[in-house]
Amino acid sequence: MNNSVAIETTNLGRIYKIRNNKKEKFKELLALTNVDLKINKGELFGLLGPNGAGKTTLIKILTTLLSPTKGNALVAGFDVEKYPDEVRKRINMVSGGETSGYGLLTVRENLWMFAQFYGIESQEANTRIKHLAEIVGISDRLNTKSSDLSTGLRQKMNIVRGFLTDPQVLFLDEPTLGLDVGASRDVRTFIKSWMDNGNDRTLLLTTHYMVEAEVLCDRVAIINQGKVLACDTPANLKKTLQKEAIFHINLNAPSRLELKSFEDLPGVKSCVITQKQDETFLDMILEDDSILSDVISETSRQSLRINRLEKREPSLEDVFIKLVGQRIEQV
Amino acid sequence: MLPPIQLTQKHSGIRLFIMTVFGRAYPRVIGMQREKSWLFFDIFVPLLSVSAYVFVYRAIGAPEDYVGFVVVGGAMTAFWMNILWSMSSQLYWEKEQGNLALYIISPASMMAILLGMALGGLFATLLRAITIMVFGSLIFNVSYHLVSFWQLIAIFSLSMIALYGMGMMSASIFLLLSREAWHISNLATEPVYLISGMYFPVKNLGFWGSAFGSIIPLTLGLDAIRQLIFESGPSLGFLSVNIEIFILILLSVFYVSAAKFLLAYIEKLAVREGRLTENRR
Amino acid sequence: MRNSISLRSFLSASWLGWKIESNWTDPFLFATYSIIKPLASAGILVLMYSIITNGNFDNPMFAYLYLGNAFYQYVPAVLSGISWTIIDDREHYRTLKYIYIAPVNIPLYLFGRGVAKFITGSFAVLITLLAGFIFLKVPIDINQINWPLFILSLILGIIMLALLGLLLAGITLITARHSYYIGDVVASGLFLFTGAIFPLEVLPVWLRPIGYALPITYWLELLRRSLVGNVAQAFPTFTQLSNLDLVLILFLTSVIAGLIAIYFFKKCNHSARERGLIDMSTNY
Repeated sequence: MNNSVAIETTNLGRIYKIRNNKKEKFKELLALTNVDLKINKGELFGLLGPNGAGKTTLIKILTTLLSPTKGNALVAGFDVEKYPDEVRKRINMVSGGETSGYGLLTVRENLWMFAQFYGIESQEANTRIKHLAEIVGISDRLNTKSSDLSTGLRQKMNIVRGFLTDPQVLFLDEPTLGLDVGASRDVRTFIKSWMDNGNDRTLLLTTHYMVEAEVLCDRVAIINQGKVLACDTPANLKKTLQKEAIFHINLNAPSRLELKSFEDLPGVKSCVITQKQDETFLDMILEDDSILSDVISETSRQSLRINRLEKREPSLEDVFIKLVGQRIEQV
Repeated sequence: MLPPIQLTQKHSGIRLFIMTVFGRAYPRVIGMQREKSWLFFDIFVPLLSVSAYVFVYRAIGAPEDYVGFVVVGGAMTAFWMNILWSMSSQLYWEKEQGNLALYIISPASMMAILLGMALGGLFATLLRAITIMVFGSLIFNVSYHLVSFWQLIAIFSLSMIALYGMGMMSASIFLLLSREAWHISNLATEPVYLISGMYFPVKNLGFWGSAFGSIIPLTLGLDAIRQLIFESGPSLGFLSVNIEIFILILLSVFYVSAAKFLLAYIEKLAVREGRLTENRR
Repeated sequence: MRNSISLRSFLSASWLGWKIESNWTDPFLFATYSIIKPLASAGILVLMYSIITNGNFDNPMFAYLYLGNAFYQYVPAVLSGISWTIIDDREHYRTLKYIYIAPVNIPLYLFGRGVAKFITGSFAVLITLLAGFIFLKVPIDINQINWPLFILSLILGIIMLALLGLLLAGITLITARHSYYIGDVVASGLFLFTGAIFPLEVLPVWLRPIGYALPITYWLELLRRSLVGNVAQAFPTFTQLSNLDLVLILFLTSVIAGLIAIYFFKKCNHSARERGLIDMSTNY
């Protein structure tokens, strides 16, 4: 493996065998298929996808919690299956909504305990705990029992736990879940500065928040139904839509809108409908601006009134819609 | 921003093992300090339970040494319970809570984690065992007749090593199974009391019954301890103390080695089947 | 409306409890578990008795302790079945807070969750009785059983145990999850005082009042009388009392214990809500 590569997967696949009860036969669930990724050292890499896309499965494989059924994966230069002990010395993981730790221990005690499992001296651990707690905003709760923390504060404690051991490769699986807007922003700022402060630090972040991926990540892979659909920088991904025209139309639709009629119009690449109370929104990607007139004609034919029409610059969400065919929250 | 920690600055090997043991023992010790209801339910009430079996013997006219057998058996139960419920089965809760995944992805060894759990619970275990021994002996006027102090120490130490090795071995099952393992532990409680001769000389199970029971280190440990501290002990013993010491040495080596092997093997199996992080039932 | 909530709480909890208790393994292992555990428990006492008396199973003392132990299995089953629900729902499934905010009668919910353990406990009792009857010649004569007394005593006893379980559930609400089943532990402690495996006369005089105050003592005596009346009469503890006397005492002590349990549960419930303990996590 190339020394500059932190994470590399080759033809990675995972199939789960599941059954609802012992009387049924096992069914196969394809969680990941043919995943080829190369993440360089120093990169903040995003994995974007809806629920059930395979993000967590991929993280579990890379963190040695799960074996792949096909292909292989290398983390920090070591095969996750053959040398899991070497991988574990160099990684850490934080998941959203985690309930780890011990309720009767304080925040400080929980964090100190986990530092011991990584061989970090108590003095060093306590210094780091204090510093990180200040950054994420829980320094006044270090002596609170973790059972008494709210969801958001608990997640902050989890985030501190992940950064405390200063891993070479850090996996964040939806880390801002449960955090308020301000706290999420603080965490993102901290993530960026943590990356900037260490040359060889690599971070793999999974999220279904487009903004998070766009703002933080050097590169993003879009994953859906176990497959990586695209992998590039956010700017390059958006460029794939540069030639196309993206319109956001706010309609007044007294009766049900015939979406298929819009989709069937020549030159319409994708059309996603969102219903909110008595307003209907259409997000359309057209081959070029000239198709717009056909779209407007169709709205007239269906007796729809256009409240607002807006041309937008492509966003990561538009890239997602183009690749998957639906909004991330609709999948 | 803090300076990065190099890999070489993090401890590994034996030092990491010891740090992990103390790290995991810490929540046990602190948890028991912060919530003391266990003092009543785990120390006082078992004394009552042991007393019940003493009175059964008194009701049926058993020789007084049998009262001593019950007291010693009851005291040793504490160690068995510590292994079964504070160590092995604890992994079930760790898995449910998400801590198991974090243990696995850390460089800490699972044996160290388990040992930490057991060590952390040792205070409560010792307190229970001593309470039963001391109060049981005082209340029921148990008289002891110590034959050899050093043999007693050897027997006790070897029993503990073998027992904790066996506990670690059975803990590996919890990596793979979840609630089944919890129930199997529950199932094991009374049959182990029966075949280990917790309240009676195991010799009464016959040679093969006693031999089968000797799989549990507690069986030979209890039998030898009784032979060493009660006057009628030697006549009611299964095998001689020296033979039992020898077998306990073999069991210690076997269980500790098997634990190391099984923990690694079953962890690999659990990783392959994706059982480490599932929440089943 | 209130009645339908109560009934719904009980029935849905019973269904849930059975789902949880019955689906953790295949039927073969479940059956093995359900047979080996009670037989091993009985086996300890049988062996203890056999060693000392050289297998004199005809002595009424054997029937006394065997039957007492057999039915005593209900005690940990029901106490644990109800009290453990708090730990299971609070720390494992993390649904206790949702149960609390739903229109559910909490005590009836807890009773319902205990039904599955009661059923498995019944199976254990039956297995133990059968084994005793077939292999150890425990003198149960089907034609001599006082069925009305047996059924009445059993029903009263189970209700009494359920109320005691509620008391333990209250304690569990305000304590941490330690390594033991609180119901099993308390049952093992009460073993000493309830005349389950030896007559109360064996206890020192100053301990006997505890036994006389416990409804379980009278419950076991009534069950013994209904199944093997002549054996029960061989022991002097309650010979002065008729069956009716015992039923009334069982009823009275159960009511008192029940009132204490309900009062204590309410107090603990209130304390748990006040201190925010309903969703606490106490794993250590």
